[in-house]
Amino acid sequence: MGIAPYIIVSSILFVCGIVVMIARKNIIGILLGIELILNAAALNFVSFTKFSNSNLDGQVFALFIILVAAAEAAVGLAIVIRFFQIRESIHIDSATQLQS
Amino acid sequence: MLLTTIFCLSAFLAVAGALLVTFSKNLIHACVYLLFCLVGVAGLYLTLNAEFLAATQLVVYVGGVVVLLLFAMMLTGGSSLNKVMSRFGLESTPLMGNWRTYLMGGVAAALLIAVLGNVLRNLSMGSSTVTEKSISSVEQIGVKLLTDHILAFEISSVLLLGALVGAAIISRPFRSSESEN
Repeated sequence: MGIAPYIIVSSILFVCGIVVMIARKNIIGILLGIELILNAAALNFVSFTKFSNSNLDGQVFALFIILVAAAEAAVGLAIVIRFFQIRESIHIDSATQLQS
Repeated sequence: MLLTTIFCLSAFLAVAGALLVTFSKNLIHACVYLLFCLVGVAGLYLTLNAEFLAATQLVVYVGGVVVLLLFAMMLTGGSSLNKVMSRFGLESTPLMGNWRTYLMGGVAAALLIAVLGNVLRNLSMGSSTVTEKSISSVEQIGVKLLTDHILAFEISSVLLLGALVGAAIISRPFRSSESEN
């Protein structure tokens, strides 16, 4: 099995993530799209590190991608909860000014 | 044969999960479908000889990030608020999007598919010429992390500490700082 099926799956994940980020008006929904896109990138790294060169740098990079995604989800959800305490809404159109 | 079976199952899980995340009308359901998608990606890692990465994906994403997302949804009311009024009294787009936002998403998806199809047009569908190495990759990843990538490893630990402390500070209760000071 070549690299092509992996690339196609990762392309589908990426396009789905972009569509989720554009179509949703919910801040948590947009975070779901970001997780999908990060997974597509990590899948690309791992498949290229198997089929293109066989040192493990791509897998290490995918590990760092997972780590940064976890940190991003923690900080992003903290911001969402704080925003909900202030505005009573998680609609993206309510977030139009920096200072409450 | 076993590899192909695992690949087909995982690819189906990943793609179906991603599509259901895109078109689901309920945020909680979308989060559960994201869980299926992440399990599928972990299975794809298994077929790529990346067992450590598959385990990390399961532990960090499925055990951590998805549970965190579900908690945040429940703390912010989940998908119960459908009618949203803007500050000017106009009814704004519903939270999960309507046909206009999906139209814009479809336009973006068409553009992306055109670009990706153009890039990937001469992708070889044939079998790979890579020789299979049956060495366990966990040990090699550990050695690589602590020798070649030691600086990134340490910086990432500082990043995680900062992210956790920052998340705790950002999301603390609203009134506490004013009453204490």
